[in-house]
Amino acid sequence: MADDRALLEALRAGSTEALAELFELYSDRMYRLAAGILHDEDEAEGVVQDVFLRLIEHSDRFEGRSSLGTWLYRTTHNACIDRLRRRKPVQPLADEAYTTDEDAGFMPTIFADWAHAPEEVFGSDEAGEVIEEAVQSLPLGLREVFILREVEGLSTAETAEALGISEGAAKVRLHRARLELREALSVYFAEQVSGRSE
Amino acid sequence: MKCEELVAYLSDYIDGNLDEELTAAAQEHLATCHNCHVVLDTTRKAIYLSRQRVATAMPAERRERLFSRLQESIRKRDDCEF
Repeated sequence: MADDRALLEALRAGSTEALAELFELYSDRMYRLAAGILHDEDEAEGVVQDVFLRLIEHSDRFEGRSSLGTWLYRTTHNACIDRLRRRKPVQPLADEAYTTDEDAGFMPTIFADWAHAPEEVFGSDEAGEVIEEAVQSLPLGLREVFILREVEGLSTAETAEALGISEGAAKVRLHRARLELREALSVYFAEQVSGRSE
Repeated sequence: MKCEELVAYLSDYIDGNLDEELTAAAQEHLATCHNCHVVLDTTRKAIYLSRQRVATAMPAERRERLFSRLQESIRKRDDCEF
């Protein structure tokens, strides 16, 4: 597999093979982030298209200060935020909205042990929808950090760079996202577990 | 370590980012606090389930359509003399 810089050179020269390889490497990741932010598959596809067109037209502007992957995530994120702003005015999520002080107030309230329930409890269509809804219901600032860290496997530093936030904010938001997800899923799975034991 | 502290350190504990002293204190608390142990296990499970559910590829039809449009844009660019 060619490295990113060689692929960009080839793309600049009009190579559709380079486009195919870059598309294979990055399109799903960009799409997941965009769909996670926008909650709309058509718009997510539009964002991936726009970002790839930018890459095709202006690949010389990629300076290589960050990895191509991080640059693509950042550009995808920014394109999504632009679309959200066009939909309705959104308040930027300030780093200080998720400080450690704020976070100290969040405590779990459900203590049912559903983690060791039989696998079929987690494999139903209904459970799948509940899980998806729980992720989608996270506030935007938590959701995008969760997707980049947990789904895409970026480091804290890469996530912070892609989203234009501090590493401390990325850490706090991931922590908060995990706790909120656990709480949301506990409502459903605790009921499933208690229903089986009755 | 108290429950509030355990919850505050939970993500760092899951990621293995706590130093030796805090890891030992967390483990000591977890050995005796049922609720915190449940919070740890269910948080790990919530992360796993969410990761599995969200990590899906773009639908094939959408992917093919999008790639064709991008290929077309490269061809058009190459056709342009300016």
